[in-house]
Amino acid sequence: MMLIPCPFCGHRNESEFTYGGPVKPDRPDPNATSDEDWVEYLTTVPNPFGPVQERWWHARGCGTWLTIWRDTRTHDIVEGPSDAE
Amino acid sequence: MSYDAAFERLPINACFDLKGTESALVEWIGAEVLPDFPAEANCCRKADGVSLEHVGPRHWLLQADIDREDDLNGALRPHEAPAEVSIVRISDTMTTFRITGTDAAHVLAIGCPLDLHEAAFPEDAVSFTEFFGQTALARHCVGGFDVSVEQSFGDMMEDYLKRALR
Ligand SMILES: [Zn+2]
Repeated sequence: MMLIPCPFCGHRNESEFTYGGPVKPDRPDPNATSDEDWVEYLTTVPNPFGPVQERWWHARGCGTWLTIWRDTRTHDIVEGPSDAE
Repeated sequence: MSYDAAFERLPINACFDLKGTESALVEWIGAEVLPDFPAEANCCRKADGVSLEHVGPRHWLLQADIDREDDLNGALRPHEAPAEVSIVRISDTMTTFRITGTDAAHVLAIGCPLDLHEAAFPEDAVSFTEFFGQTALARHCVGGFDVSVEQSFGDMMEDYLKRALR
């Protein structure tokens, strides 16, 4: 079980949240990037052995979207949300 | 085990969903209609039988007895509201269960992950959370808690609560 820090509600049980996926790099301009980099952007999901930045939605709560850094080895939230939207 | 608790399904409340900044809402509705806005998150203020609940960023619920609904609707004028605010009458979208008794918090804890201790969930607290897997609005009542769920889950929640209490 994880307690996820919501900027509005404070720490809440993970069951109140919906996973929004890892934060992806900015979308490159498809006309200015190589095919290789474009395919990499489209198909590779960040999946590090360690901290990953990801989005969560406080769906059964206040409705806020937030971004955290979660360590995939321990489930520790190593950096809380700096955003409140 | 059996709990020292009981539940009842309450008649519907007048309930309006308000979105927008405090200043935009006060400008449209008029300060005299509303209780003071609770500045704190997940907190309510009550005045003159009306409860104003801060349930999300720029998101509030206004609740009162159902016989106040027409008056409030007239004051809030949902269909004429300016673009900066959203006002929706949602009275009949939720059904509320009142759970009371010495063990009311234990019964809630079966289906709700909220920390219900006084320090974390004080008397004026109100929050969306989950109850038996569904989105629910939880708040205190005299001797226990009121939990509102979407109306279509009402019968299912009643079954859960009956099982929890038997
Ligand atoms: Zn929240």
